[in-house]
Amino acid sequence: MASSAPSEPRMAPLSGWESRFVEASESGVVELGERPFLAHVNLRLDPSNLSARARVRETLGVELPLSPNTVSDGAGHAALWLAPDEWLLVGPTGSEGEIVGSLQGALAPYHHSVLDITANRTTLELVGSRAREVLATGCGLDLHPRVFGPGRCAQTLYAKTQLVVWQIDDVPTFRLLVRPSFAPYLAEFLCDAMLEW
Amino acid sequence: MLLISCPWCGERDEVEFHYGGESHIAYPDDPEAITDDAWGEFLFVRNNPSGEFRERWLHTHGCRRWFNLLRDTSTHEIVRSYRMGESADQSSGAERESD
Amino acid sequence: MSIEHARADHFEHPSELWRASEPRASYDVLVVGGGGHGLATAYYLAKEHGLTDIAVLEKGWLGGGNIARNTTVIRSNYLWDESAAMYEHSLKLWEGLSEELEYDLLFDQRGVLNLAHNLHEVREGIRRVNANRLNGVDAEWLDTDGVKEFCPIVNTSSDLRYPVLGATLQRRGGIARHEHVAWGYATRASQLGVDIIEGCEVTGIDVAGGRATGVQTTRGPISANKVALVAAGHRSVLAEMAGLRLPVQSHPLQALVSGLLEQRLGCVVMSGAVHVYVSQAHKGELVMGAGIDAYNSYAQRGSFHVIEKQMAAAVELFPIFSRAQMLRTWAGIVDVCPDASPIVGLTPIEGLFLNCGWGTGGFKATPGSGWTLAHTIATGEPHRLNAPFALDRFAHGRLIDEHGAAGVAH
Ligand SMILES: Cc1cc2nc3c(=O)[nH]c(=O)nc-3n(C[C@H](O)[C@H](O)[C@H](O)COP(=O)(O)OP(=O)(O)OC[C@H]3O[C@@H](n4cnc5c(N)ncnc54)[C@H](O)[C@@H]3O)c2cc1C
Ligand SMILES: [Zn+2]
Repeated sequence: MASSAPSEPRMAPLSGWESRFVEASESGVVELGERPFLAHVNLRLDPSNLSARARVRETLGVELPLSPNTVSDGAGHAALWLAPDEWLLVGPTGSEGEIVGSLQGALAPYHHSVLDITANRTTLELVGSRAREVLATGCGLDLHPRVFGPGRCAQTLYAKTQLVVWQIDDVPTFRLLVRPSFAPYLAEFLCDAMLEW
Repeated sequence: MLLISCPWCGERDEVEFHYGGESHIAYPDDPEAITDDAWGEFLFVRNNPSGEFRERWLHTHGCRRWFNLLRDTSTHEIVRSYRMGESADQSSGAERESD
Repeated sequence: MSIEHARADHFEHPSELWRASEPRASYDVLVVGGGGHGLATAYYLAKEHGLTDIAVLEKGWLGGGNIARNTTVIRSNYLWDESAAMYEHSLKLWEGLSEELEYDLLFDQRGVLNLAHNLHEVREGIRRVNANRLNGVDAEWLDTDGVKEFCPIVNTSSDLRYPVLGATLQRRGGIARHEHVAWGYATRASQLGVDIIEGCEVTGIDVAGGRATGVQTTRGPISANKVALVAAGHRSVLAEMAGLRLPVQSHPLQALVSGLLEQRLGCVVMSGAVHVYVSQAHKGELVMGAGIDAYNSYAQRGSFHVIEKQMAAAVELFPIFSRAQMLRTWAGIVDVCPDASPIVGLTPIEGLFLNCGWGTGGFKATPGSGWTLAHTIATGEPHRLNAPFALDRFAHGRLIDEHGAAGVAH
């Protein structure tokens, strides 16, 4: 069901952390900040259904990636591979209602599921030449650029917290998608890890 | 800690996974028709070899897919991982480049 | 302990205490596995039933298996009648065992606390206390203040992630010195005429006409009227040699010890929710254990994250331990049944007896397990104490589901 934008101002899970982030960050080395309220929509459909995938492309301007743990971009949307038949669609703040509405129309003839999960996770951005090292303090992924570069994503753990890690450029900038209730814990852990650099 | 190769995501730490016991146990075609012994065997008895073992794992914190692992229980060596529906002898998702 | 001939100074393998035996060509009874359960079985066969034409076959050395790898928690406060009867019988045997074996087992009834951290555990704990009392097992329920009083170093502050809401207490529970148990049983069994044969691995079980007739070993074939499989984590492999499939799975179970510390922890503390059990040994080291590693294994080692989590749990419950150094970790292989209860008794093969599935909690049962298995071997019938723990319960559905009371197990 299409969700409408909330009328009350929303509260970011890490609102109030700004000064902590500034304190822990060092420009050009590693910086941390929250990018709350990006539109998050979960999509499931049969990956072998070519027409359904084409409908998604026509509707959002983004191709659904079929390679595990990769991301494709298009027309302001990103599609993250989460599982063989599951993607996370990320769009500009406030666009979730539109994404859900348009996809539901486009995919109506096919077996599918489209769900607004914007409130399910907030996004932290970890940027800078040392961002990779900071992330590696609590994450077992092989983050070497040979293996993990721009356009890669992974669902994994950071210090026991479930995360979606998504590298968007080779600064590098990592987006860390985390449940709101775990966000302060993650932020605390990252701020502590950043002290070293 | 084991380094387990998910047939979808590739190598990840064991903490991302959940163990599911022996693989390839088929539900009896007609449970009403089999003896108590056979039903008890289906419910409770699994192979428990010291050596190669075909077992199920779930990539809980990753792609959330069940898959199979062929692992040696005496050395912890992981011989191969393969997707549901494949057999241990078929070439596996983990051995070929993930596509 | 007031035993004159206490041998608490033995920390080396004291093999001079029992006769080293060469395997003979045949015996009345062969016990496969020289752990606590196997040695106790042989001892009670000799002592209670007058059988002495017995050999215990051990592939390694006595006390190299789980008997000397475990954290030695002894208690009998299990939920179901069948288990309470079995473990309580065992605990009663423990209470006289040092005297009986004339060997100081350092059995110390310092009390066992099982902590409850949520409402469900409180209800379950109180239910278990009531069930225990009905079965003649000593049991008390302590509230948070009672826990604090009994064990002052437990963190009972209310701001814990898993606050301590109460605990069951079995005052007769405690610990013992694990390898002394093996050595004590071995010494007495040997004196009674039992052959104890180390370095003798069983590689095959001979079955003819539905009857066990002997075993193949790395030191040659040995024939026997009766064969008892008492080989802990390895029993599936052994049973398979006789064509038997068992409802057990083998898993690593890890434990660790700290360096020597001043005595501060006067009881055993177990917690299912934060998942640790800990006691302080007589010399002063903290001994703690985790839950099993999830996967099947015979490798006698487990994964680091399991003990890491368990240490986190220990430090949460005992902030005083936060600077203790852990010196050693190890694992044993435990065989676990689907209902977390053991199998002790007959098999479909005549003359082949089975003792397995003790999982994470069989040390406490060593005397009772040996005693009941000896009865079964000697008389051909299970004793009423082990009758419910029959192999065929998995076909009939009469499971003895002790997952709750086994909890973190032990
Ligand atoms: C880390 C850990 C902590 C534990 N903590 C507790 C606790 O606190 N309280 C509690 O009650 N229980 C505990 N247990 C469980 C307890 O140790 C076991 O249930 C119990 O010791 C099993 O007794 P056993 O004599 O059968 O085993 P073992 O001592 O393992 O004896 C089996 C013997 O069989 C031998 N064997 C195997 N295969 C062959 C073969 N083919 N031929 C000849 N010999 C063979 C082995 O070498 C071994 O010596 C713990 C176990 C572990 C691993
Ligand atoms: Zn995966």
